[in-house]
Amino acid sequence: MADDKDVLRDVWFGRIPTCFTLNPDEVTEREAEPYYLLLPRVSYLPLVTDKVKKHFLKVMRTEDVEEMWFEHEGTPLKWHYPIGVLFDFHASNTVLPWSITVHFKNFPDVDLLHCPTNSMVEAHFMSSIKEADALKHKSQVVNDMQKKDHKQLWMGLQNDKFDQFWAMNRKLMEYPTEEGGFRYIPFRIYQTTNDRPFIQRLFRPVSTEGNPHTLFDLLKEMCPDALTKDGCLQHLLCLPWTSFMSLTLNLCFSSSPPPKVESASLLG
Amino acid sequence: MKTKKWTVDKGRTVQSLAQFITRFLKLDASEQLFIYVNQSFAPSPDQEVGVLFDCFGSDGKLVLHYCKSQAWG
Repeated sequence: MADDKDVLRDVWFGRIPTCFTLNPDEVTEREAEPYYLLLPRVSYLPLVTDKVKKHFLKVMRTEDVEEMWFEHEGTPLKWHYPIGVLFDFHASNTVLPWSITVHFKNFPDVDLLHCPTNSMVEAHFMSSIKEADALKHKSQVVNDMQKKDHKQLWMGLQNDKFDQFWAMNRKLMEYPTEEGGFRYIPFRIYQTTNDRPFIQRLFRPVSTEGNPHTLFDLLKEMCPDALTKDGCLQHLLCLPWTSFMSLTLNLCFSSSPPPKVESASLLG
Repeated sequence: MKTKKWTVDKGRTVQSLAQFITRFLKLDASEQLFIYVNQSFAPSPDQEVGVLFDCFGSDGKLVLHYCKSQAWG
């Protein structure tokens, strides 16, 4: 993975310029100015929006403030999806900065999970890591790690510390070469044209003949409708995230011939 | 739970299963229930059971464990 370090850094440090505006129906003591922020693609909204909350709380009375939630063009934003996924899925075709509306009332229980504290984000994140490792290593690597290692992984993400994060994550990205790679590639494919939230199925890193699978192979199997006759990707969003990251990195560098990509986002 | 085997629609979410178990076992609605896959991770409440079955099922079934306190999380 050493050669991929530049790619890993680029992915980690990806940022989305965002403009937060208070929902006009909120009760304020004076007018609220919008708040601008560069959001890390690899993180989660509750982790990076403390300043947004503080900013808008300055013009509101405590009694008018309930759990904060975000929305883009009428769609509530799921905090448990990585920010990069939310942006690519909802707003990649719009002009920057990304416009997000901030709400402090009428929490949409049907659309969003509650997120009272950062420990909830941590629990969700760690579960994702464990789920990915269940696919990659039958959970052996993540279970062999100590609690403090798990904590370091989380703190690395929370505090935006690439080296701290990857010191631990690289263990989750290792595999014995004689076995051809991970047991299964952890991935999720989000499609705006699909009713289901995402596609997640079992997919081996090598074919039955022993050839490494490419990103194209994955897409052909999981969402063939997204590919045109000559193999062009159309408006497809791929998410590998954290340990789900393996997909982008391993498959991207072994595709031959490389698929023509019209509009796709590789996240993670 | 005496009846351990259930057939569930693929599109049902983990959250709806948790709610079902809570009602079935007559637990306090305010009590939290944790659901685990492979005794190793707790899927997101909005995760579809069908996806879990496709990825983690074996012998034609998906085994889930439920717990009133955090076990493997």
